[in-house]
Amino acid sequence: MKLVSFAVGRSTCVQQRSRTMEGETVKLISAEGFEFVIDKKAAMVSQTIRNMLTSPGGFAESQLGQVTFPEISTPILEKICQYFYWSLDYASGKETEFHIEPEITLELMMAANYLHT
Amino acid sequence: MDGDGEFVGGLVGKCIEAASASARSVEKWRRQRRTLEHLPSFLADALLRCIIRRRLLRYPSWLETFKNSVENVDLRGENYVGAEWLAYLGAFRFLRCLNLADCKGVNNSALWFLAGMDSLKELDLSRCSKVSDSGIKHVLSIHSLEKLHISEIGLTSEGVSLLSSLQNLKLLDLGGIPVTDKALCSLQVLTKLDYLDLWGSKISNKGVTILVMFPKLNFLNLAWTNVTKLPYLPSITSLNMSNCMISSIYYAKNSMNSPLSELLVLGTTFTDADEVFSCMDISYMKLLDVSRSSICNLHFLVKMDMIEHLDLSFCGITDDSVEYIAKAGKSLKYLNASNTKLTSDGVGALVGRLINLETLCLSNTDINDAALSYIALMPSLRVTDLSHTKIKGFAYESGHHVEKSFSLSLLQNLSRLESLNLEDTLIKDEAFVSLAFLKQLRCLYLKSDFLSDVYLHNLSPLSNLKFLGFRNSVLTDTGLLYFMPPKALRMLDLRGSWLLTKDTVLSFCKQYPQIEVTHESIGMIRPDRNISACSSGTSQTSEARCKGFNKPSENCKVTFIDERIKYSREEMLQLQLSPLSTLAPHHRHMLPKGLRLE
Repeated sequence: MKLVSFAVGRSTCVQQRSRTMEGETVKLISAEGFEFVIDKKAAMVSQTIRNMLTSPGGFAESQLGQVTFPEISTPILEKICQYFYWSLDYASGKETEFHIEPEITLELMMAANYLHT
Repeated sequence: MDGDGEFVGGLVGKCIEAASASARSVEKWRRQRRTLEHLPSFLADALLRCIIRRRLLRYPSWLETFKNSVENVDLRGENYVGAEWLAYLGAFRFLRCLNLADCKGVNNSALWFLAGMDSLKELDLSRCSKVSDSGIKHVLSIHSLEKLHISEIGLTSEGVSLLSSLQNLKLLDLGGIPVTDKALCSLQVLTKLDYLDLWGSKISNKGVTILVMFPKLNFLNLAWTNVTKLPYLPSITSLNMSNCMISSIYYAKNSMNSPLSELLVLGTTFTDADEVFSCMDISYMKLLDVSRSSICNLHFLVKMDMIEHLDLSFCGITDDSVEYIAKAGKSLKYLNASNTKLTSDGVGALVGRLINLETLCLSNTDINDAALSYIALMPSLRVTDLSHTKIKGFAYESGHHVEKSFSLSLLQNLSRLESLNLEDTLIKDEAFVSLAFLKQLRCLYLKSDFLSDVYLHNLSPLSNLKFLGFRNSVLTDTGLLYFMPPKALRMLDLRGSWLLTKDTVLSFCKQYPQIEVTHESIGMIRPDRNISACSSGTSQTSEARCKGFNKPSENCKVTFIDERIKYSREEMLQLQLSPLSTLAPHHRHMLPKGLRLE
């Protein structure tokens, strides 16, 4: 299994933060077992992940801070993580284009629908 | 994205956007069959809808990729749709809803492909003029059909009788088809019907008695028929008898189960309106449209204390009737009294009674500035149409000719006012300046020969303004270029501003790409462009039914008369050199002189 610490253009910052403040990052695991470590704030863009991480009752997800997506392939999950960060930037006023390659639109659409983003 | 509001903003919306960006992007994913098959139907529907609207569906064979996921297909108005398209659609396994309205290419043989599609619940073939009796026979094999729209197709009365085999029908739209009494009689087996549209049919007073046999019927449209007497139909809540001659509508009082709540009688002639209304239970009426009808007094309104929507336009009503509106007005939200004989005094009598009124339309009436002071006292008002009235924008206070007060500024107290239409009123000069006080406005419609540069610049501080109509103005090129549009502005209508040149308009568009500018110099004007202040009319009145009502709309005029022909060359040069900021008084002097020279 391979660990990919992931954050668009700010991976160093994420790693530092994950070391200092535990619980600030979450781990998203793709169908192939790739692990994406991203800011919790970014992951919360997805309504589904937000529910998993915040729901009371001690789900494994909220305790370990990791979520497995057996239905989402690695490249799609990577794109989704990019979208989380893009969406945070956009909300803070940085108006850039989020490019989606036409080849992955269908799969990405299904994943996005599942994640409520 | 067109009509996919639910997805806008999210990643799903962005994916649909990216997938339907161009024909090339469609080409990239359309062979991913397995993924397409797993797509949830609402996503597949939205995707297909987007591709159709963007005209990216090049070949009917492309439809095949969607056959296992799509439930709704909307091809309305697409003329290229023909037999080959229906052949592919016929293979859609889960198709529930198919809209082929206005598809002129659909004919009888094409419909054969739809035969036996047992998943189909809704089919719209409205105005497919090539479809006739033999085409409808193919539709008869779709037993699951619940909603069928076949208005204005080439069906005969015999064809209508055949529909009796579609036992699950709940909605049947037979508008514009010559349905006879006999044909209607054969439809009485359709006991599940709750919506029946028979406008323009050949139903007579005798045939209409059959309608009692439909126990669930609650919407009935009999517009443009010869029916004059309507029997007691207990389940009807919405009735349209526009353009008929009504002598009586029997309606039992105290029928608690389903009181009549909507009545549309546009352009209808009543033999005796008071009598008709006296034998109806109208106390639950919410919507009443009597525009262009023969009604000229409103006694019957006294009993309607739940009325919300009242359209009296083009009726012969005068100020005498106002007291009845005032009495019924507690819950009134929409009042259209345009083209009536109402005056300012009449409006005054409504003050304090119409506390919930949101929309008020008084165009083409004799009201003057006094009415504005009354309108300013209607707290819930959101949309006001005062076009074609005698409003000047100022009034002399109690006879003192020295004290001029600007009546338009009174409206600033109406905090909810969003839309104000002042087209073709008598407002001029300084009165326009007082518009700058109305900071709450989102839509403002102005049309006057006295509009000039200064008055446009004067509107810049209206920060909420989204739509601005500044028509028939003498706005100049420099005036437009120096205009600082309000931040929220998205549409600017400059039609008839004949001094503007194409270059200036285009450079303004370039400078403010977010603003959609309408002007004759920059191409075709779509006739449906003008978001009229009172366009929120009755939704039930379909366009077809209103045919012949709409006054020849000015909006449709695409031709542009260059008003420069009114002026001689010398005057043109003079105009060109005239100081711009003082154009209005100067122009006032110019215009009549120019017209005299014609």
